[in-house]
Amino acid sequence: MFLKELEIKQYRNYSYQNLFFTKPITLFLGQNAQGKTNLMESIYVLAMTKSHRSTKNKEWIAWEEQYSWIKGQIERKRGPLRLEIQLTEKGKKAKINGLEQKKLSDYIGALNIVMFAPEDLSIVKGSPQQRRRFLDMELGQISPMYLHHLAQYQKVTSQRNQWLKESTKNKGFADLLEILNLQMAELAIRLTVKRLEFLVKMEKWAGEIHQNITQGREHLTIKYQPSFQIDPNASFDDLTEAYLVQLAKLKEREISRGTSLLGPHRDDFHFYINQNNVQQFGSQGQQRTAALSLKLAEIQLIYEEVGEYPILLLDDVLSELDASRQTHLLDAIKDKVQTFVTATGVEGLKHQTIEEASVFRIHAGEATQEK
Amino acid sequence: MYYPEPIAKLIEGFTRLPGIGPKTATRLAFHVLNMKEEDVVEIAKALVNAKRKLLYCSHCQNITDVDPCYICSDKTRDKSCICVVQDPKDLIAMERTREFHGQYHVLHGAISPMDGIGPEDIRLPELIKRLNDEQVTEIILATNPNIEGEATAMYISRLVKPIGIKVTRIAHGLPVGGDLEYADEVTLTKALEGRREI
Repeated sequence: MFLKELEIKQYRNYSYQNLFFTKPITLFLGQNAQGKTNLMESIYVLAMTKSHRSTKNKEWIAWEEQYSWIKGQIERKRGPLRLEIQLTEKGKKAKINGLEQKKLSDYIGALNIVMFAPEDLSIVKGSPQQRRRFLDMELGQISPMYLHHLAQYQKVTSQRNQWLKESTKNKGFADLLEILNLQMAELAIRLTVKRLEFLVKMEKWAGEIHQNITQGREHLTIKYQPSFQIDPNASFDDLTEAYLVQLAKLKEREISRGTSLLGPHRDDFHFYINQNNVQQFGSQGQQRTAALSLKLAEIQLIYEEVGEYPILLLDDVLSELDASRQTHLLDAIKDKVQTFVTATGVEGLKHQTIEEASVFRIHAGEATQEK
Repeated sequence: MYYPEPIAKLIEGFTRLPGIGPKTATRLAFHVLNMKEEDVVEIAKALVNAKRKLLYCSHCQNITDVDPCYICSDKTRDKSCICVVQDPKDLIAMERTREFHGQYHVLHGAISPMDGIGPEDIRLPELIKRLNDEQVTEIILATNPNIEGEATAMYISRLVKPIGIKVTRIAHGLPVGGDLEYADEVTLTKALEGRREI
């Protein structure tokens, strides 16, 4: 897919901009705090209806203004699409070809996007919670059933935690725990199986990409550490049975701690380069490359699911990579993926595709095309 | 407060109702001022009567003004089948089908530890008592298809099956008369899981 035109009004530090894109790569150049990331964010919001940064919608609207909007003209295989996001203090509206989409799930997916920003390093370096969030976000984009089961699982877990906290007070309803266990087991197994499938796919693609970037010197593997181990040959009933047995063993500890100790909410996964844990032993560069490989694998995943390449946003990361990693990244996306890049200058960005890119100079909330 | 006390009190009263904010409450209160006095008295009486005269049917626990309620005292209805619902509005919905001719049991809630509602806090003991006292052969569990409703249904089924009574759960899936293309993915997947041979 290709973003041909972007129009924004009263968005963060921009009062009005209308930009046209024709080349596969677009560079936004400018000093710090001029609005490069804001422009990237507006493309992200156009696709996802929410920001990768703040959760407060109000912050999107420029100072002392009442509303804001973002419009985009998209070229897809099946034809052109006009997307529009209207933002007011009260909320947001999403439109496709002028028609309002009441359900956000009908809107999200019209424009697929993969963003790589400095904070994505936290997938490798950060807490297990951040890695689980990554899993849930990515799986949610491609599987609505996963999102549904996740929401149900969270509900059952809170019900169960409440029961465990109060179990010393109301011993009478011991059998209620059995029901909650059964509900939890079924959902937990579904989520774990989905995560396992997803990570196996991601490992395959990210591994290949990583090998290319490092010219075969490094071998990337992803190890899923589910709280509940799934035996791929077991039937659903067997797994449920095994889950309930483990819960029974944990019962005393769960009651004394007052919280659920088994299930996808305690999952984690780790990256290994040549058998070494990247989080513990990897250099900055290795961690960055692992995160980059994962993001590029995401592009591949969306291509497989949707049949078209998503748009890639590289916010402040290209200049952080050394020359050979840059080359491999740019070769990987060349002619396939429309890419937006922010940087403070072109120094250090040496690649044919960058030289052919269109360039916008960003200064104090205004973008002017240079090339 | 800028309004005289009687109307301020009325506005405040309306805001206690669900779905009514300060603006709507103000509009309603001023509308009441313009109404005929006998109409206002009628509404006031209806409010008080609804609270005072309604009671729970000693049999099915539905809200009623006579005990036993008109469904429980209807001799033509099938006494061997009980449909278990979460609240009186669900019972009315089932009644509108005109297809169910058995008895009901209203639980007035669903099991939810988060809200402090355990099996003893809904009208479950009353249901078990009925099953022991009456000649019941089937109960239909028509609680809501969400986590709490499912948990309640599973809980009841565990209690009742050992007594030797047939326990069934209403199906969930596609709405009738709707188009397949407008169904959301979750409903459609559920419908697919619950498919049957024809």
